[in-house]
Amino acid sequence: MKLVDKFTLWFLGVTLIIIPINSVITYQSIKREIDKAAIERLKHVNVRVAGQLEKGEVPGEYTQGCRIKVESMSGPTPEGQYAITERDVTHDPELRDNDRKITVASYHTINGKHYRITSGDYVSRSEQILAGLRTSIMWKLIILIGLVVLTARLASRIVLAPFYSTLKKLQRFSLKSKKKLVLPPTRVKEFKELNCFVGKMTDKAVDDYLSLKEFSENASHELQTPLAIIRSKLELLSESDIQGGQAALITDMQNAVDKLTRINRSLILLSRLENNEYETEQEVSLSRYAQEAVNAFGDLIALKSLRLECSIDPDVDVKLHASLADILLNNLISNAIRHNIPQGCIEVSLNRRCLVIKNTGRPPEGPTEDMFQRFKKGSQCNNSIGIGLSIVKQICEINSFQIRYHYASERHIVEVAFPQAGASSKLLQNDERYLHEKIQL
Amino acid sequence: MKVLLIEDNLELASSISEFLAREGYICEVSYNIRDAQDKLISFQYDCVLLDIMLPDGNGLQILSFMRQERIQSSILILSAKNSLDDKVAGLEEGADDYLTKPFHLPELHARLRAIYRRKKLNGSNMITFNEISLNIDTLEAHVNETLLDVTRKEFDLLLYFIVNKNRVLSRQSIAAHLWGDYTDNLANFDFVYQHVKNIRKKISAAKGTDYISTVYGLGYKFNTSKQ
Repeated sequence: MKLVDKFTLWFLGVTLIIIPINSVITYQSIKREIDKAAIERLKHVNVRVAGQLEKGEVPGEYTQGCRIKVESMSGPTPEGQYAITERDVTHDPELRDNDRKITVASYHTINGKHYRITSGDYVSRSEQILAGLRTSIMWKLIILIGLVVLTARLASRIVLAPFYSTLKKLQRFSLKSKKKLVLPPTRVKEFKELNCFVGKMTDKAVDDYLSLKEFSENASHELQTPLAIIRSKLELLSESDIQGGQAALITDMQNAVDKLTRINRSLILLSRLENNEYETEQEVSLSRYAQEAVNAFGDLIALKSLRLECSIDPDVDVKLHASLADILLNNLISNAIRHNIPQGCIEVSLNRRCLVIKNTGRPPEGPTEDMFQRFKKGSQCNNSIGIGLSIVKQICEINSFQIRYHYASERHIVEVAFPQAGASSKLLQNDERYLHEKIQL
Repeated sequence: MKVLLIEDNLELASSISEFLAREGYICEVSYNIRDAQDKLISFQYDCVLLDIMLPDGNGLQILSFMRQERIQSSILILSAKNSLDDKVAGLEEGADDYLTKPFHLPELHARLRAIYRRKKLNGSNMITFNEISLNIDTLEAHVNETLLDVTRKEFDLLLYFIVNKNRVLSRQSIAAHLWGDYTDNLANFDFVYQHVKNIRKKISAAKGTDYISTVYGLGYKFNTSKQ
């Protein structure tokens, strides 16, 4: 439910409670005012009749526009007092409908005689007032609801504009872009607070992210020199006069240094991929790179007695950095070789739509969703550091390739789908629309 | 061959200079840019090994300095920061090759040799050792005038052996030389073994001497003293 709907419902609810109360009050006050006016008029009539009497004229029964009765009273009268009666006339044959009558009786002493003057008039009945009120309330409600419903969206669009703009900015916000969030100024207190909070939070996240990244980059780079020292010293050591046992120790150390070096290089590569250091606008001939990679691994494939099936279409050009093309293909093909079985096969097919690498191998033991995560290995193959596929995935991500792994008919299948011409802009548009849909006003 | 090593890390500098000295290079070491510039003006070097991150500035400064001073030495950049920008900038500024730390010393040697060959011995693309001769351009290997049927990798491996003759070459170093750094492929050691085995077989088949021997469990060595 939208915020504006909530507010609208709340407002309408309050209106629905207030209107009956309000109409009771209105009814009461209208009735009171009518009665008061009628009573005042009748009092006035009585005074005029008294004046006529004083002049010796005999007032007619209907002279003052209402029915008047003058009675002589014996004995003293409560001078200056009024007796007001009010009654509903229900069976007056003169009237079509029942009616309400107000009578005012006043006492006067004229020329030593006591009189009681009574005048009466018909006033609007409660039902008539109520009927009027009903109509007006109905119209009021219709107009109110109509206008509220019609304008609520517009109002919320205007009033909540800063909120939506913050939301939109947040949705587009990415730590990786390393840009701080700039929020438009607003005069609404809540939005000010929100923007202030969001701004502080994202700034902190960006700062933390940057310092963390800087740290890991520096750490990786700083590790390179000590690794180079260890490696060179081990190499010099292995040149010296050493015994068999010592040689084994050196070999183990060399293996460990090698592994460390690979992990470190891969991590550096990953962080550089995340830094978009490999952005390019140029297309490379993936066909050529694929052919080269297949040739380069020809020896390994032959050594492992694997069968290679290759269908590489010529002229497959993809927007990709040349180094990344190498790394991508090398990683995928070397993986296909490493995780193969003797006398197995590898199929490499490349066309304008996608690159598919299939290889025979033992079926995956666990779930394969996290195959592309760092340091996750499908099989406990001790010789791998488990970062190759993660690099492949990162390369695919920054170049908006779709990578998919599945296992079917005893083949491990890795499919890299390239963005189709025109599809990329459409994707962007879709994204925009999607974004819009999500924060539609 | 006279080499100037510009590297601020004492331990690494000593490893490299010791290794190069054993190969018969005359190796001088500078630990900062100022000293390197003095040396470059005063003496002539065949090759400069240049670290990018130096205490008193960026190693790339040396490149422009050398261009200004018209110093013709070859340049091999050694960098811990294998960032693409540095590599491109370095090669654009006139460096001949780029090697990322941590590297294998035999690899450094092989690169140095390759640069040296390209610069000094232009025209001559033949590398000969006794009965084995390698043509760098055509990638043909001959033993006793018999053409060996070797693959590209086997050729590279044989070249690597001959350049680093009488040195222990670890399997790691051979794998890195043949397949580069980024393939997450430690299982390549089996392949190294296979390649070495094949090469030895092919040389023997052509009636060549089997110079390549296994060293303890450390790796392999191209042993020139074998008869």
